[in-house]
Amino acid sequence: MIKTAKTFSRRATLTGIAAGAATLPLWARYTNAQTAEPLKLGFQVHRTGIGSAYGRWYGRTTDAAVKVINDAGGINGRMVEVIAEDDGTDPRRGAEVLEKFANQHGCELAFGTLFSHVVIGSAPRAGELKLPYFVVSEGHHVASGMLNRYTLQPGITDVKSQVKAMAPYVANNLGKKVTMIFPDFAFGHDHRDFFTAAIEEQGGEVLEQIAIPPAETSFTKYFPKIPRETEVVYHVMVGPAVLTFVKELGEFFGPSRPAMFGFIDSLEAVDLASSGLEFLEGTYFWEGMCRDVQPDQSEHDKFYRAAVGVDARGASVSDPSDMSTYGHMFGCWETLHVIKDGMEAAGYAGPGDRSKLIEAVEAMSALPESRAHPQGDKIFNGKTHQVFGHQNISRVENGKLVRVHRTSIEDTLYPDQVDYTTQPF
Amino acid sequence: MRFLWIVVVVLCLAGQAQAHAGDQGFVLLLPTDIYIWSGVASVVLTVILLAVLPDRAGAALFRPVRLWRWHGSGLRHWTSGGAALFLVLLVWAGLYGSRDPLVNPLPLVVWTVWWVILVSLQGVVMDHWRWTNPFTGPGALMAHLTGERAPLRYPRALGYAPGMVGFVAFAGFLLADIAPADPARLAVVVGLYWLISLAGLCLFGPRWLVRAECVTMLMRSFARMAIVGRHRGRLALGLPGWQLLARRPMPMGGAIFALLLLAVGSFDGLNETFWWLGVLGLNPLEFPGRSAVVGPTLAGLCLSVAGLLLIFVACTWLGLIMAQARGRLALAVRVFAPAILPIALGYHIAHYITSFLVDGQYALAALSDPLNQGADLLGLGQYSVSTGFLNVAGQVRAIWLTQAGAVVIGHVIAIILAHVLALRLVADARGAVLSQVPLAVFMVGYTFFGLWLLAAPRGF
Repeated sequence: MIKTAKTFSRRATLTGIAAGAATLPLWARYTNAQTAEPLKLGFQVHRTGIGSAYGRWYGRTTDAAVKVINDAGGINGRMVEVIAEDDGTDPRRGAEVLEKFANQHGCELAFGTLFSHVVIGSAPRAGELKLPYFVVSEGHHVASGMLNRYTLQPGITDVKSQVKAMAPYVANNLGKKVTMIFPDFAFGHDHRDFFTAAIEEQGGEVLEQIAIPPAETSFTKYFPKIPRETEVVYHVMVGPAVLTFVKELGEFFGPSRPAMFGFIDSLEAVDLASSGLEFLEGTYFWEGMCRDVQPDQSEHDKFYRAAVGVDARGASVSDPSDMSTYGHMFGCWETLHVIKDGMEAAGYAGPGDRSKLIEAVEAMSALPESRAHPQGDKIFNGKTHQVFGHQNISRVENGKLVRVHRTSIEDTLYPDQVDYTTQPF
Repeated sequence: MRFLWIVVVVLCLAGQAQAHAGDQGFVLLLPTDIYIWSGVASVVLTVILLAVLPDRAGAALFRPVRLWRWHGSGLRHWTSGGAALFLVLLVWAGLYGSRDPLVNPLPLVVWTVWWVILVSLQGVVMDHWRWTNPFTGPGALMAHLTGERAPLRYPRALGYAPGMVGFVAFAGFLLADIAPADPARLAVVVGLYWLISLAGLCLFGPRWLVRAECVTMLMRSFARMAIVGRHRGRLALGLPGWQLLARRPMPMGGAIFALLLLAVGSFDGLNETFWWLGVLGLNPLEFPGRSAVVGPTLAGLCLSVAGLLLIFVACTWLGLIMAQARGRLALAVRVFAPAILPIALGYHIAHYITSFLVDGQYALAALSDPLNQGADLLGLGQYSVSTGFLNVAGQVRAIWLTQAGAVVIGHVIAIILAHVLALRLVADARGAVLSQVPLAVFMVGYTFFGLWLLAAPRGF
């Protein structure tokens, strides 16, 4: 024992600890310094922060899509490996995460971001890093021209096209005199501006625009502003108070009410058959993809549901109370399939082919309905880097969303606002 | 215990008032106003009962039930060594494992298993930190190997300050850092902290752990609230707080540390509310992310700490004046501050129940497959984490009432504890009651604040 004591002097041990402490930050540098055999795709996911509820289902859909792709032989013969990094639903962290993908993890590209402010905060860094950045955000920021050639949105349509496509159905079936209720910030203003223009094109008019302060949690005092002659109430409330909004609106109108139209964004992941939401019965919602199985369900939707683990009501097969974000999450699945097709068309071998990958995706146009595109066929606009597709309007019947209209793709188109292909790489 | 039953019954009755349909959305549909006032009424009722009941009634509640003889176990250095080894493996996993914070075991063990579960168990059940801390085992091994004692004396002038600063820094990392759950970032922070603490232990001896190592200080504080403990050589059970009464008053540093726990716990919750985001001038529906609020969050944290210390000392001072017992402020703060520990513990449990229910599932999955290679060590099978229960009205109400119950029970115990302590400090019963009036008002107000926090809309 005495010998041992001499061998390990306290000073030597402390020196060891200090040396260990000094090298600890360096250990991280060797993280994932493995062979580049699999094709690494960086998944910028909202694991924490305000986007985490969406992040969970975006994650499940991504895992399912990667499994399907790998089971079929991967991409260009290489297995796909997803490296998920949490962006905290934070733009600065989002940019850091892209840097890690490019410089630390050896990822070929980044994909999967939903929240607009994270996309807008990260995209410039993607451009500097020359890292292809495939977002699944719905935001109009890609097609508006405010981003760069490295940012693409081929898996989900943007809000401008969605809103525009709603106007013909609303005007022809629900009524031409519309009152809009929306939260008083950019998200609500987009709806206000896009829809007001679109309904006027259809010969309708917006009687009143009721902007609700974002911090509001009680809404009854705003409802008397709804004009009596209103035929349709268009509502796009979001945030924790959305259920309160729906309940109070129901109490305000009672049984006789105008037609109600909203975006499912407000109620994604919420079971419409929940008690307290009875008022939604008979109201209409935009859905990117129908959460309840429809009578004409395609073989592709069936395959997609089974792969992700979602039942006929849009809930998790392992827990019927766990409602998915079905209206949006297909975007991750379709984006990964576009990446696969793009890489195969470009003969993608490694980071040196990143610009070829972008050119290959820019060259895409018609994306036929298939297992790769279970939401339906689409048209990709290479100039604006934005995809366009069918939109759905569903009516709540017995707590289920029953589709009453599917728009044409033409209904969703608007003139190009940018041509990214003219920008150099 | 009678008070606890009153609280439980009042809350259950209030719970039946209305039923409605995920998480925040469903909470806002609950009749939380009724629940909040029921909770506040329970605490007020406790204050009134204490004023009219005989003096011995309060103290009798905290008399422990002594069980069999127990001298502790010599295994604690071994289990602590095991915990240290586990920590090293976790840090390794943090550096080399999955980058996903909900897959990598390090963030899940640190933020869910330790910060939520182990801290709560420490406060409610027993002082397990004697066995589960990763410091004393390696420290004992080092002393055994070198045969030497700590070469330096811990500077007396430092007192508990390093531990306090450390705890506020920890809270700053938890609340203000932009990615405290990032596996590699957390691995570096945890690894460095462990090594520095171990070095402190080697250099200054065990005193380092109880005065400068904030995690041990946190755990030792909450241990005083545990139901199970040792009493005169026997294992004993008692109402949370009995161990506090069975010991001498805490030193001033320990008392202030207890107040820090409550201040941090209160701000951890307040910083998510629409109200706080409004103070910062942010749109609560479009929270810009943590990176935009690092400075304000740190400022809010420091203000909460300073504010709570000031209010508490002012209430204690005022109480002494009312009881005509001036000149004993320092002793009174040392005596009364630990009485707020049950409130801090109640807040901790209430604030983290939901994340425990969700992230606990991820932690289970990660421990079953620590290297993310498809292993199933715990036999969970095909496992999908579900948050469905946050979208079912009845379950959201049950969770909310459990949270509210933790807050109210914490306050009720704190009030009784403070009353018993006052009787010790101020000899006559009337003086003891008067000395408690400002603190009782403070605690009733804090009950309202705590329940309001649970019901308030949050921006993230």
